[in-house]
Amino acid sequence: MSTGTTQSPFFSWSRWLDRSSVLLFFIIWELLPKAGGLLETFIAPPSLVFKTLWETYQAGELLGHVGVSLGRAVSGFIAAALVAIPSGFILGGSFRTIERLVSPVLRFLGQLNPFSLFPLFIMFLGIGELSKGAMIFWVCIWPILFNTINGVKEIDPLLIKSARSMGTGIVTLFFKVILPAATPGIFHGLKMGSGTAFFMLIAAEMIGASRGLGWLVWNAQTNFQIPQLFAATVTISILGLALNGVFSLLEKALLGWRQNSHA
Amino acid sequence: MGTVADNYKDAASADAKIVVRDINWVFHLKRTRTEPARDFIALEDINLEVKKGEFLVLVGPSGCGKSTLLDILAGLAHPTSGAVYIDGKQVSGPALDRGIVLQGYALFPWRTVRQNVEFGLEIKKVPKGERKAISDRFIKLVGLDGFADRFPHELSGGMKQRVAIARALAYDPDILLMDEPFAAVDAQTRENLQDELLRIWEETKKTIVFVTHSIEEAAFLGDRVAVLTANPGTLREIVKIDLPRPRTNSDIRSSAEFGWVRHKIWELLQNHQPEVRGAIDSRPVADAISPSAEL
Repeated sequence: MSTGTTQSPFFSWSRWLDRSSVLLFFIIWELLPKAGGLLETFIAPPSLVFKTLWETYQAGELLGHVGVSLGRAVSGFIAAALVAIPSGFILGGSFRTIERLVSPVLRFLGQLNPFSLFPLFIMFLGIGELSKGAMIFWVCIWPILFNTINGVKEIDPLLIKSARSMGTGIVTLFFKVILPAATPGIFHGLKMGSGTAFFMLIAAEMIGASRGLGWLVWNAQTNFQIPQLFAATVTISILGLALNGVFSLLEKALLGWRQNSHA
Repeated sequence: MGTVADNYKDAASADAKIVVRDINWVFHLKRTRTEPARDFIALEDINLEVKKGEFLVLVGPSGCGKSTLLDILAGLAHPTSGAVYIDGKQVSGPALDRGIVLQGYALFPWRTVRQNVEFGLEIKKVPKGERKAISDRFIKLVGLDGFADRFPHELSGGMKQRVAIARALAYDPDILLMDEPFAAVDAQTRENLQDELLRIWEETKKTIVFVTHSIEEAAFLGDRVAVLTANPGTLREIVKIDLPRPRTNSDIRSSAEFGWVRHKIWELLQNHQPEVRGAIDSRPVADAISPSAEL
């Protein structure tokens, strides 16, 4: 039996100690360019990076780029989830034979590198939003689909038996047993999908876009604006961290009942 | 329909709660590398009556079909032929007049103890306030007060099984079907749970059908013990247990009658020479079931 959650005080020295590495990182980063030479040319210190960030923000550009990137990532991700989760339930639950038949093909498709497909997406869907959306859709759909299939397959049949013994109808069974029992698998897929989606989006924007954070990086690179390059990179990292944070919160809310969750 | 009802009336005694008539359960085994495809008879001509408020134990070795029989009683499996009647009505599927407790607990891990206990009540569409009163009562009955808001993973095996029992009792079924419910807990906990179960049974007056492979457990709990043998699964004999009630492990286990009853059941299982007809597992029954397992 566990003792439940132990409440840590808001302020604790050990927690600050754990996080002191971040401070150390910033100090080294700030001092490094002062060594001169190549380091000074190629590394922008954080003070300059954040100044550049602030200026870009003031100029009203930063949020626009963030918005464009997030919009692409979120819409591609949601579209993938809307297709992958129901398909996962169908393949993992009701039609196991079909799942067995199509599984090798799906695994193969899942391994296709999205970058080698990107030219195809551009050819079919044009250089606009749709090709980037398709790219995100493509990288998100596989982890969500495979994890949903596994999540549904691995539902303990005893839970279904136990619910059925109480005369549970099929709709109630789905919402009260199958869906919550498959949630850990689905969630794992969504988390994996969102991570790669963001990663791939930046790369896709660097290849073919006229707005967005990836474009910002690419633009800084071609114009040799080192502080802007760093500013865009830092923004991307912060967004990535925020994304992780959102998923951690969701996990706590949805899956707090799990043994190994940090709820 | 008329003839079925007549047959039923002719055969059943007036106080029968559950009547099992001519149950056969045959399943088809697919061809393997060494053997051709064939039918396997898991249950053959099972006839059984359980009285209202009775505690009936089904005992037998693995593969004798006792769990299948329980699934048929629950309405989760349909017999190849034959029928089950509850209060004179033929069973066609699962319903809330029967509660089931499985060996693997089968608690919903995303629900707290209280939410697990209330599951059947939600299916029954009992209003929320009433649900809480009922779950409080049954959580207390199984001795888990103070654990209502815990999740299953925070509980020991014995406590999980108590939750499963509370969940099956909460929607107030007349019949409790238990499939080796105490097989996965340690010996000490098992004896406690047995004592508790008898106390709960005497308090709630449910009709209980209890499946076990432990002769000890069967002799201790049952009013009657139905001894099943394997290959094919047949009902060999029903042993009436005349040990006084209320029983507790501490005063029954050492008594001479208990030893005698235990021995009798053991002999019934021991002396049965399995026919090789369609045998999946031709080990002697005595190997499959150890009478001293619980000693």
